Amino acid sequence: MATAEDRRALARHPQDRLRYSWLALTGFVLVLVLLAVALVQARQATLLRQVVQAGDDYVVLMVYQAETEQLRLRDQWQRAADDRVPLDADTLRLRYEIWVSRIELLRSADLQHLLSNPDGDQRTLQQAMDFIQRADLALGRIPEVPLDRGFVSALLPQLESLTAPMHELSLGASHKVSEQLEARGIAVRQQNRLGLGLTAFLSVLTLAFAFIALRQVAQLRERRLVLEELATKLRLAQREAEAASDAKSAFLANMSHEIRTPFHGLMGMLSLLRETGLTPRQVDYLRTATESADHLLALLNDILDMSQLESGRVTLAVAPVDLRALLRDVEALMRPQANAKPLALHIDAAPGVPERLLADATRVKQILFNLLSNAIKFTDHGAVVLDVRTREGEDGQACIEFTVTDTGVGMDEATQEQLFNRFVQGDSTRSRRHGGTGLGLEISRNLARLMGGDVSVRSRPGEGSCFTFHMHLQVPPPTVSEPAAPLPAVLPTSRPLQVLVAEDHPVNRQYMAALLENLGHQAHFTGNGQEAVEALCRRRYDVVLMDLHMPVLDGVGATRAIRALPDAARSTVPIVALTADAFAETRDRCLVAGMNDFLTKPVSVQKLAASLRRLFGSGTATPNDTPLPPEPSPAWAGSHPVVDESAVAMALQAMSRERLAAMVKAFLDQAPETVQRLRAAVRDAQPLDLRTNAHAAKGAALNLGMSALAATAEALHEGAAHLPAHEIARLVQRYEDLVPATRQAMSALDVLRAEPQPAVTE
Amino acid sequence: MRIRRSHPNHPGTGRRSLLCLGGGLLLAAAWPVRALVAASGPVVLTVGGRVRMPNQGDAAHFDMTMLAALPQTSFSTRTPWYAQPRRFTGPLLRDVLVAAGAQGDVIRLTALNDYRVDMPYQDAQRHDVIVARLLDDKPMAVRDKGPLFVIYPFDSRPELRGAVYYSRSAWQLRKIDVL
Repeated sequence: MATAEDRRALARHPQDRLRYSWLALTGFVLVLVLLAVALVQARQATLLRQVVQAGDDYVVLMVYQAETEQLRLRDQWQRAADDRVPLDADTLRLRYEIWVSRIELLRSADLQHLLSNPDGDQRTLQQAMDFIQRADLALGRIPEVPLDRGFVSALLPQLESLTAPMHELSLGASHKVSEQLEARGIAVRQQNRLGLGLTAFLSVLTLAFAFIALRQVAQLRERRLVLEELATKLRLAQREAEAASDAKSAFLANMSHEIRTPFHGLMGMLSLLRETGLTPRQVDYLRTATESADHLLALLNDILDMSQLESGRVTLAVAPVDLRALLRDVEALMRPQANAKPLALHIDAAPGVPERLLADATRVKQILFNLLSNAIKFTDHGAVVLDVRTREGEDGQACIEFTVTDTGVGMDEATQEQLFNRFVQGDSTRSRRHGGTGLGLEISRNLARLMGGDVSVRSRPGEGSCFTFHMHLQVPPPTVSEPAAPLPAVLPTSRPLQVLVAEDHPVNRQYMAALLENLGHQAHFTGNGQEAVEALCRRRYDVVLMDLHMPVLDGVGATRAIRALPDAARSTVPIVALTADAFAETRDRCLVAGMNDFLTKPVSVQKLAASLRRLFGSGTATPNDTPLPPEPSPAWAGSHPVVDESAVAMALQAMSRERLAAMVKAFLDQAPETVQRLRAAVRDAQPLDLRTNAHAAKGAALNLGMSALAATAEALHEGAAHLPAHEIARLVQRYEDLVPATRQAMSALDVLRAEPQPAVTE
Repeated sequence: MRIRRSHPNHPGTGRRSLLCLGGGLLLAAAWPVRALVAASGPVVLTVGGRVRMPNQGDAAHFDMTMLAALPQTSFSTRTPWYAQPRRFTGPLLRDVLVAAGAQGDVIRLTALNDYRVDMPYQDAQRHDVIVARLLDDKPMAVRDKGPLFVIYPFDSRPELRGAVYYSRSAWQLRKIDVL
């Protein structure tokens, strides 16, 4: 469609040129004609001026008057010569003077061009002058001879002889002027005709010009219409394409979600298969299958990330972050990978880098994991270095910059250009050797851009690579203990509620029981989603608190099942999600599945009360009638890596110290069992088991304020699918090592003071 | 073109003071205020027609002395009759008409050779038309288009440089009739 238009536009070009040359030619001729018209008019003006200036007809009058005066003088002269009348000298003198003045005028006037016979006319004038010379002897200013009849008579014949030539002169001038007038008339007529012709031509040209201009305007309008139509089509096409792309992204996101659920089942089955007494060969096959499944899961996760980034569904959860702790986490996860090769891993923060900053810690870690694991992947020996420093960005704002430098294979420029495009890796042979989805860098870059930064690369083949990730540096305001900000009434609901808690972890159950008890509600527990659905069928509950990660049937599945129940009273029971991950995506998924609210762990009594109040309205008094202190600042406020004091304080708001101590003790006492289960999952290569156990441990640890244990459990949960086995083993070891430290820290906080100190090395 | 005017005996001033003095006495005849003296020398110009101050019959006769006694105006101007600009001197036509107490619509000029031409009375008011008696400060003989020559200040306004005004410039002037 567009190309056809283009072709037509191209085909129009020669026509355009032709039209423009026509236009230029017309314009040129127009200018010429205008010049000609100006010339003609100038000539006409000149002619007219000649008429005015010369006054030829006026000259004819002068000649005529000279002749008349000549005749009057002759008459007077004849009378003076007549003996019979007295001589009237005065009159004769006057007549003579007037005649002389006329002759003088003729002599002085520019008559040359009017003389039909110049010689003859000059002779006539000369004759008159001769007469004047003789007459002046008596009639001049100073008379030399007396004016008497004799003098008059003597000159009479000469005067009379002038009559005929004067008449000739008059006639000649008259004829000459007539001829000239005629000639001038002809010239004027010609000029007029020429002017008329030029004007006609000018009119034709102007019409032609106007015609061309009109056509041009019409064509422009036509072309504009075509262009507008084209623009509309393009807009529509673009909208369709965008819609299609959005639909694809959504489809991809949904599919990877949908795939993950059965996939987890598949992995569970694979792990069950292992227990059925296999031959070594079958075990080998099974390991390969499990590895492939792990890879596939990582791939699915990447695709999910990517499609969410693309559809703009990723929102950053920006919160104050302890940068050192973040770097420690990164190091903990990456060091085992580096140690598997003869590689040194250095992580170094410049002195000016602030301790705390505002960022989405999970996403920052994700980018750093990606960059570091790439570097380790493509470096066989030497070192991988992560440098952190601050600098001023291009826009003048402060930036924090993470630089990952390796001594690996490096890349040429063509590869670097391709690097951030999806599914492109350094080169195909390497990708085969190293595996990976090829989405990592694109995801990292998109995330970085979401944070107002970018990821860029500098590299040369054989000289290693240097990836730089920078983002806007925002430093949180220093935390001061806020003077009891009035909390939005954290009041319990008006009546005791029957609450069903679906939670698989025993410690979390205890914790929730304590919380609900504190708020005056009755807690009932089920161990998984399936049981929850069944319990709901048996009796009525006011609200369900639903953990998302549970064996048999997870929270989302259980919610869908509940919403599908035939009994309307049961299918509309309010459901509140409990989860350890705070991703917007998870939240959306819960709400889409039909849940009413969403609580992230650690769950505080305030959060729980607020949620229940949203669902059931508030009452007038709390059971213990003491105003609840404000919720302590969350986990990041304390930098102690082992125990989060604020979380402990929060837990203490919900329950007695003894109760919390019992729970902490129970959790820590269960820890060896947990470690055993984790080890078993690692040994049997059952990432699903590993994830489930790690997640359960993480939730409980978070609720009880054991931040180091929670972080390690989270690392296990996150890394279950893609970390190599030895590294997971290291994390499990770390978890085990942290148990006595946590116990000690809890004792230090007086949480475990009632307990006899057990052996430190358990 | 520069027009220079001279007042040999300031007759205008005198006339105005007389007007003030005799204003009450001469209520019926506020105009004329001074009778025109009779011509003592040869008459060179006769003003006839609607003349209220005749000094000879119905007409006012002027000799050269009387004309010279009126305020004089001089200017140089180009003319169709001379190759070079010439200097003309004489009384303003309107002063001559005032002196004769002549008022009307048309001024008819007659020359010695009976050339006759009419000019609107307003021309004398609108333009500084003079009755020239000196050409380059010398009296004009009849053969030099004298003794009197009606001259418009042609160079003062472009529209005066046309056949109509040239034709109204009568030379050898002998008679003015105010109609």
